[in-house]
Amino acid sequence: MTATSHDVVIVGGGVAGSLIAKRLSHAGLKVLMLEAGPESTRSFADYNAHLDRFYAASAKGAESPWPPAVGAPQPDGGDIGTGKGYFVQRGPNQYGSTYTRTLGGSTLHWLGVSLRMLPEDFELQTRCGVGLDWPIGYSTLSPYYDQAEHEMGVSADVAQQQYHGLSFTPGYDYPMRHIPQSYSDRVLAAAVDGTRIALGDTSVAVRVRPYPAARNSIPRHSYQPRGAIDLDRRGNPYLLTIGERCEGNTACTPICPVQAKYHAGKTLVEADWRHLELRTRAVASRVLVDPASGEVQGIRYQRYERPDAPNFVEQTATGRYYVLAAHAVENARLLLASDLPGRSGLVGRHLMDHPALYAWGRSPLAVGPFRGPQSSSGIEEFRAGAFRAQHAAFRFDIGNDGWRATTGAPDTTVAQAVLQQGLIGQSLRHRLREQLGNQVRFSLAVEQLADATNRVSIDPAYRDAFGNPRPVIDYRITDYTLAGMAAALQVARQIFARAGITDCTGQDELSFPTVNYQGRNFAYHGMGHFAGTHLMGADPRQSVVDSHQRSWDHRNLYLAGAGSFPSMGTSNPTLTLAALALRIADDLIAQFPNAAGAAAQCGGL
Amino acid sequence: MVDDQRFQTFLELSEAITGFGRVRLLGTGQAELYFATAERVVGHAIMDELLTAFADLPTRTPELLRLHLFGNEMLGDVVRNLVKLWFGGVWYQLPAIWQQAYGPAAEDGTFIPSPDAYVEGLMWVAIGAHPAGAKAPGFASWAVAPQIPLS
Ligand SMILES: Cc1cc2nc3c(=O)[nH]c(=O)nc-3n(C[C@H](O)[C@H](O)[C@H](O)COP(=O)(O)OP(=O)(O)OC[C@H]3O[C@@H](n4cnc5c(N)ncnc54)[C@H](O)[C@@H]3O)c2cc1C
Ligand code: SF4
Repeated sequence: MTATSHDVVIVGGGVAGSLIAKRLSHAGLKVLMLEAGPESTRSFADYNAHLDRFYAASAKGAESPWPPAVGAPQPDGGDIGTGKGYFVQRGPNQYGSTYTRTLGGSTLHWLGVSLRMLPEDFELQTRCGVGLDWPIGYSTLSPYYDQAEHEMGVSADVAQQQYHGLSFTPGYDYPMRHIPQSYSDRVLAAAVDGTRIALGDTSVAVRVRPYPAARNSIPRHSYQPRGAIDLDRRGNPYLLTIGERCEGNTACTPICPVQAKYHAGKTLVEADWRHLELRTRAVASRVLVDPASGEVQGIRYQRYERPDAPNFVEQTATGRYYVLAAHAVENARLLLASDLPGRSGLVGRHLMDHPALYAWGRSPLAVGPFRGPQSSSGIEEFRAGAFRAQHAAFRFDIGNDGWRATTGAPDTTVAQAVLQQGLIGQSLRHRLREQLGNQVRFSLAVEQLADATNRVSIDPAYRDAFGNPRPVIDYRITDYTLAGMAAALQVARQIFARAGITDCTGQDELSFPTVNYQGRNFAYHGMGHFAGTHLMGADPRQSVVDSHQRSWDHRNLYLAGAGSFPSMGTSNPTLTLAALALRIADDLIAQFPNAAGAAAQCGGL
Repeated sequence: MVDDQRFQTFLELSEAITGFGRVRLLGTGQAELYFATAERVVGHAIMDELLTAFADLPTRTPELLRLHLFGNEMLGDVVRNLVKLWFGGVWYQLPAIWQQAYGPAAEDGTFIPSPDAYVEGLMWVAIGAHPAGAKAPGFASWAVAPQIPLS
């Protein structure tokens, strides 16, 4: 038992936990952060060792730079469909996503797409008769979106983002100008902008539009972009100037070499360290609850010295309030491992993702791929509409890295040219220009609704090296989403046809899980968008947390992250979970009448 | 720099099979490492045979390279591996059939000789791009058509 008690104990040093820690520490609250992973992302030299690890990996998946500690295992893309790995997958479909358990969390390898949810996404049940409504609407979250965009450093122009009813605070704009669209985006835009694409019995004019990205661009006004982080000789964190502008490394996933892409470590650097204590290599293993009051009394955790050894000592952290910000899966797993399934019985249920398809082809013009951020634009027209009563909404991410994700180009292209076509020298170079220079790839991310049978649970038969139960996953992609996939493919085909792009979807495809719909097989992949495992709602019988993400059963406990989402629409979840995290921080500060107050000191606005 | 004759021949061979000039090849900083890597895997004797076969070519046309090197049962797999190594920075495990006939090559396997090997892959240069995660061309450079070098 440690003797000192804190005002707030936060479990997890990802984006949600870090934003809360920063804001609380600036309000003068005494905060303890427990982080399962090692601290190897805090110094510039250690971060660069992760980069070298990526260079040296022969399989360059999303986790390749970020190996887990023995005591804090994580899912790995290479395990999907093999029956091996951290997740116990019970099917019927494979859950295709992963996350990172190192200080900084999954923002270490995320892509940085930072879309707001649409106003209609919060009222899906009311408007379309499907899914679940949120207990709060867009207007409640809108000021927190403003703050989150400044905290994380999002690049976009409001003028390009006012669609599907998205409105912004008068006078507001993003902290940095939009990331320039790639040459490939511009070639596509020249061919298809404004053309009408049919969907069901309506048609929509599409546009290749830059999406908001948490990557540093040209700042507006006095905004100061945050680049790479480091520790000084006394171990105090500070910001370097490197990385203040995206350089086009084309590696946002899995690792931005210059840290121009947001990761949670940047937020932690800006915390008030007089009030924040960080304990890394500390795996929370049990939430201790007073059976009479339901109040949380402490967090038991396993402290290890060496990431490569299965040894640990047990300690307990105590505070007045607690926040679980360990990721949607880990929050649920931790509660279930603490015998706290919730009075509603809903902890772990309603697991969602954006199962996504690829469509790829050859452009009639060279597009200069394999340069710039992995993507810089999207097609957003199909994120909203009356069709949502029948099938899922979807959005397109337009890749800048050729067929890398779908066929393993350019390496596989070289191998083919050398082994099958016997090309060498100039003819090989010529062939590569021809084969790689016109590659176009869309990622079609499809909405998935909250479904109580899709869930994370635990089973004492499956444990990790520290004896903690591993996540057991039941996952089914329902017809609502499958019909959305079919519609998305149809739209992709139309866009290809309009642009004169030869459709090569399915050719030389790497291995992906498949799902069958009306006699067709869709090869899909996860987007890393875990959500829904501790649902937010207005009714304690039908949700796990209230609209402030405060647990109905344990009033001094907050559950942060996308686990709280009743629906996700087609937005990548991080910006929204960040906005919600800032709202938790404000709610917590309000519980301490003597706190210094948040808005005046932080927020970056 | 190793300036013995064998290395020079290796460089000339590399020019012929990659289509890139020696300035570009030396500029990767990987030439000696690749030479050493290939020799370590296939052994001194087979490397000698390869270099001699190359040096003996009357002219270095693609046709003769195909006939005498790429079309040779033993040398073909080795020289194809060298092309892939230069372009992708990865040494790929030789085919099992090669191992049976000409092995054992104890150090064979699929590996990246050094983190820089990945960064220096010539396939990126060939298409006017850069390796994912390195040699970033700079803000907004991606908004214009790529420049594809000739040498
Ligand atoms: C390849 C990929 C690309 C993505 N791209 C995007 C994108 O473009 N846009 C977007 O919005 N989202 C994206 N995501 C999703 C995004 O990464 C997550 O939504 C986000 O990082 C979740 O934040 P979090 O703070 O809830 O969890 P995390 O970032 O996962 O952080 C959780 C933290 O808690 C720690 N932790 C876990 N268990 C414990 C424990 N028991 N005790 C103590 N600490 C613990 C972890 O080590 C970690 O540091 C992507 C994900 C992937 C995999
Ligand atoms: S494109 Fe490159 S520099 Fe820019 S954010 Fe991504 S990885 Fe970083």
